[in-house]
Amino acid sequence: MTHLNFSFIGQYYQFFLIGTYYTIVLAAAAVVLGSILGVVLTLLRRSRFKIIKLLGDIYVEFVRGTPLLAQVYIIYIGVPMLFNGSDIPDLVVGIIALSLNAAAYISETIRSGIEAVSRGQMEAARSLGMNQRIAMFDIILPQAFKNILPALGNQFIGSIKDSSIVSVIGIAELMYKTTIVRGNTALGIEPILVASLIYLVLTFSLARVLAVVERRLKQSDHR
Amino acid sequence: MITVKDLHKSFGKNNVLNGIDVEISKGEVVVVIGPSGSGKSTFLRCLNLLEMPTGGQIIVNNQDITEKKVNIDKVREKMGMVFQQFNLFPHKKVCQNITHAPIKVRGLKPDAAKQLAVDLLKKVGLLEKIDAYPSSLSGGQQQRIAIARALAMQPEVMLFDEPTSALDPEMVGEVLAVMKDLAKEGMTMVVVTHEMGFAREVGDRILFIDQGKILEQNSPEEFFKNPKHPRTIDFLSKVL
Repeated sequence: MTHLNFSFIGQYYQFFLIGTYYTIVLAAAAVVLGSILGVVLTLLRRSRFKIIKLLGDIYVEFVRGTPLLAQVYIIYIGVPMLFNGSDIPDLVVGIIALSLNAAAYISETIRSGIEAVSRGQMEAARSLGMNQRIAMFDIILPQAFKNILPALGNQFIGSIKDSSIVSVIGIAELMYKTTIVRGNTALGIEPILVASLIYLVLTFSLARVLAVVERRLKQSDHR
Repeated sequence: MITVKDLHKSFGKNNVLNGIDVEISKGEVVVVIGPSGSGKSTFLRCLNLLEMPTGGQIIVNNQDITEKKVNIDKVREKMGMVFQQFNLFPHKKVCQNITHAPIKVRGLKPDAAKQLAVDLLKKVGLLEKIDAYPSSLSGGQQQRIAIARALAMQPEVMLFDEPTSALDPEMVGEVLAVMKDLAKEGMTMVVVTHEMGFAREVGDRILFIDQGKILEQNSPEEFFKNPKHPRTIDFLSKVL
């Protein structure tokens, strides 16, 4: 068995720091924008107008049914074509791709959460004179959100890992930087192990934060 | 106050209401009874358009609320509804359950809404639960809160959809007592219930609904003493 050699870290730790920084930026943007878009998408898919609902459904099916890698390329090459070849920063392209992808999954999660809230809640809200919008945002969505928090947590953790895909368009996130370190040091596995450890720290920290939020929200279930 | 003319409601091929005509005056307590599946809950739910009628008119304060241009939210503000399953908002404390609609819909200031909640909770005897979550309350307590919540919108009429049917027997009394007080204060009430004692004691008029039609209506004394329709006689012989 050959020995693992981690002596490169001293020289290359900044590569990992910069990569981690971009990974966090990408994942955070994907989670925030993906959640906002996900809520909007859910509302569109619940629209009274069939055509809007259909467009929303098609979008979700497309995103769910095609690889993220393909979606990244489509946006990387397609979006500049839409704007007559004007230059959009790669980081922005990456954020758009990851957000649009996350939005579809988050929308599916929210939909299941809304459906799990009993019909009586909407009826009670409406019978008090609340309009559809107030009832949805103040009564239904908070309960749906609580129902889906574990699933949403998985989605957020997924966004951290998914961000590695955009290394293919040259965004200097963690996996991209790791590849450079591997090339420079001619070490096969050690840089990957370091990157994996960093991903694990990120996802595990997020999981702990979400567990705390979940516990807080469960307050109304007891006492 | 409410005039219902030839009300029809069907779900697909299933005709639930087959022409209901009834007039409800201000301050009246109308109790609706009938076998399960007779359409009595559907009738009640049509009154505030939780179910959209498939035919007929519902005229509330001289306005046909089944017309498309009517702002149904405005109509519902004036019609409180109490459900069999309480439907309190589980993520809100008792106080917010009561104050949310007054603040968001009537535009009440939070202080004024809080005071209103305190007054209403005193009325239903649950002031000490103001900061509790619904899940910590018994069924009877939840239903009394639900009544307080509906009253907070200062409705002109209260609709009760089998308010005691989901309760343990020992909790039925406390809810009926609150409803009785409400009736005494002159609230207009439409109550779908299986509580014949309540119907007899508090009702001004009994409607007997079966197969989507009002088969008989009368004052409680007459209704229970001299039922006329064979279906009524049959029903009463089973429940009394």
